[in-house]
Amino acid sequence: MISFTKTWKQLKQKGIMGINQRNADYILKYNDRRNYPYVDNKILTKMRAIDAGISVPEMYGIIRTEHDISKLDNVIDTHRDFVIKPAQGSGGDGIIVIADRYDKDRYKTVSGKLVLHSELEYQLSNIITGLYSLGGMRDNAIIEYRVKPDPIFKSISYEGVPDIRIIVLLGYPIMAMLRLPTRQSNGKANLHQGAIGVGVDLATGTTLNGSWFNEQISRHPDTDNEVSNIKLPLWDKFIELAARGYELVDLGYIGVDLVLDEEKGPLILELNARPGLNIQIANDVGLQQRAYIVEQHIAELKKANRTETVSERIAFSMQHFSVLKS
Amino acid sequence: MRSLSMHLKVIITILMVLGISIICYQIFVLKTPLTESEVDNLWTIDARVNFEVKGTKPVNIEFYIPSKAGDYTVSNELFLASGYGQNVTNLPYNRLVTWSARSVSGQQTLFYRLNLTKRYADSNVNNTKGDMWRSPIATVGAKKEAVERLVKEIRSKSANISSFITTTINMINDVNNSDAQLILNDNNSVENKVNAIELVLSHAYIPIQQVHTLQLSKTTNQTPSLWIRSYIVPNKGVDNRDSTLNGSNGNWYYFNPIDGSVGLPDDQMVWWIGNDDIIKADNASKVRVNFSLANSELTAIHLAKLTPDSNNLTEFSFYTLPITTQLAYQVMLMIPFGVLMILLLRNVVGINTLGTFTPVLIALAFRETGLQFGLVFFSIIVFFGLLLRSYLEHLKLQMLPRLSVVLTFVVMLIIFTGMLSHKLGFEQGLSVSLFPMVILTMTIERLSITWEERGANFALKVAFGTLVTASLAYAIMGFKPLIYWVFTFPSILLILISFMLAMGRYRGYRLLELFRFKAMLK
Repeated sequence: MISFTKTWKQLKQKGIMGINQRNADYILKYNDRRNYPYVDNKILTKMRAIDAGISVPEMYGIIRTEHDISKLDNVIDTHRDFVIKPAQGSGGDGIIVIADRYDKDRYKTVSGKLVLHSELEYQLSNIITGLYSLGGMRDNAIIEYRVKPDPIFKSISYEGVPDIRIIVLLGYPIMAMLRLPTRQSNGKANLHQGAIGVGVDLATGTTLNGSWFNEQISRHPDTDNEVSNIKLPLWDKFIELAARGYELVDLGYIGVDLVLDEEKGPLILELNARPGLNIQIANDVGLQQRAYIVEQHIAELKKANRTETVSERIAFSMQHFSVLKS
Repeated sequence: MRSLSMHLKVIITILMVLGISIICYQIFVLKTPLTESEVDNLWTIDARVNFEVKGTKPVNIEFYIPSKAGDYTVSNELFLASGYGQNVTNLPYNRLVTWSARSVSGQQTLFYRLNLTKRYADSNVNNTKGDMWRSPIATVGAKKEAVERLVKEIRSKSANISSFITTTINMINDVNNSDAQLILNDNNSVENKVNAIELVLSHAYIPIQQVHTLQLSKTTNQTPSLWIRSYIVPNKGVDNRDSTLNGSNGNWYYFNPIDGSVGLPDDQMVWWIGNDDIIKADNASKVRVNFSLANSELTAIHLAKLTPDSNNLTEFSFYTLPITTQLAYQVMLMIPFGVLMILLLRNVVGINTLGTFTPVLIALAFRETGLQFGLVFFSIIVFFGLLLRSYLEHLKLQMLPRLSVVLTFVVMLIIFTGMLSHKLGFEQGLSVSLFPMVILTMTIERLSITWEERGANFALKVAFGTLVTASLAYAIMGFKPLIYWVFTFPSILLILISFMLAMGRYRGYRLLELFRFKAMLK
């Protein structure tokens, strides 16, 4: 019991955010439920992003009904690789990534497994009936551009596409993490399934130490390479996309998921209105501590009756939340 | 934000205060028992009136029965007097039943049965006021002088009316007091002593009343005992009273006419008040009244149910409902506690469960099967369901047909397992007919998806968490004293709501988070 209260106090002192606090003080406070569809429905997110000139993976088409499934061929058209995902899925569930065509009705996944056309149709049917959607409601399936990860991640990633999660509070990026798929996570960048989270310094885009489940690690379990000290290219672009995510969906506390495509550079993959807390373990810093600084800053701005532009916000974040002494 | 939490605090406080005050009202004013097992005595007093009529004559019997305004609550009374006309009149201090018949002959027996209990009596009822002044009873000669000497002596030895009466009683009972002996005239019966006391007190202008009581103990053939009482304003002197001032803010004080002790013992039950005999019978001889008393222990709440009027404890409670509705309500009223369990386990401890309220539904299902059997049964069906589900995955069915197949399979499994356990001699197997199949089906579906998406580890963790939560919810929903409490004090739900509201803004760590973030404390 004594050790419990001691741990409690230490966590508090480190400014670590718990689920209850995240829900009560951030999500319920800053996220207007009305705007949830903009993040929960990836079609809406994409539409808004395109209107705002924010880079997202190109959408090839939408399958809305069982009848539409037969038109899959038309949607795929001449693309050799593509991704099928539910519009309202969560946690990367229900996503199929096709890397190439094999023959007339067979496709190849990233890992080289062959998939029948009928299997794709079955998956589409699952998506449409709402198997992967929040609350089991009917859903739409999106067919979109397959992101090809930049080769920089080759040494520290197993299959799949590594992505970068940036937590943005009221437009101020407060923490960033690089998520690396592992063999255990089946090539998915999902921390719950065993992907690695690596902290990223907000000012420079340099990777820090990593986390695997709830532990802190420093090397990738599959490739055995150090995950730290890698400088992510185009970091300014990442941060800018993330900061603009706030205006995009008008939600105060979001996790912006970005990818680095070898051709198109940083793209927003999706946004999350309930971002997880393991990013704290990856960065070895409490979210609460940083969120407090931003909230203080905004209170001061409010007093001065002033708001900041995207670049001012980024400058503030980079100044206050950098852990590397440059 | 601040105004919101202020708002919330106000609501929480209002609900809390409301809930607690309703419960307090029930406990302290309505005297609702706190536990189901609190027992109370229900006394049954049988009064049998025997008399003989010589020849054929019209008979009129007047019999005193206890007033309903006493310290005890009459829960039930019964008159057995066939062939007699019956009339009950309320007198200032008593009730009087009059039995009359035009022509009766021979041995007669009339019967009066009374069920009463101490609890639930409204003590304020017993506030009939009494006289505080009376004129002296006329006496002559030596007796008069003796009375006057006694009054003078007693006055010098007493401070107020109460002590005056006590002293009088002691004097009359003093065998060495010649004046007292003169008044008693060698008759030492209690009745005569009471008469003597009354005489002496009347010369001090103090009125008294005779009180006839029965002792509440298991007896047959008990004779009523005699007490006296007087309406007294405490601390008022004997001589500074005013003959015009009658019956205000006083209290009845009871005295034992033998030893002068004040106060009526708890086990004495007043049958009638006054100098009259208990029974007055015209045209009857050999009149005898026989009292027998018996008691039975009843749980207090059962007793309250038996007490039809004179209390409003049960009037607005669930106890007036038909018994089947009561049972259904008992289950319903416990559901919020099951939900509370989930709330605590999820938000404070941090256990993962399948769905939000699924554990409560499973707990409800356990009510039918019992916990151990239910757990085994649940695990077996989910296990086979998962096997089927993983096989169906290969058939690439659409969701709805697939769910239907799983549901049908679950029904078959339930029936099969039930029959098998019946053959093996476990009767519980048959009680699961209403085990919620839809919930099982959805559990299987969700679990299998979780398995695929999050891995076996996580799926098993969630399944385990669900079963633990369901078991705890089951335990709390079946906790007998709590069921009694919620059913008797439904306003406890208001307190529950206020607690849930407060939990709605709980922002501390979950217990399991202390382990989750442990790595960060190195």
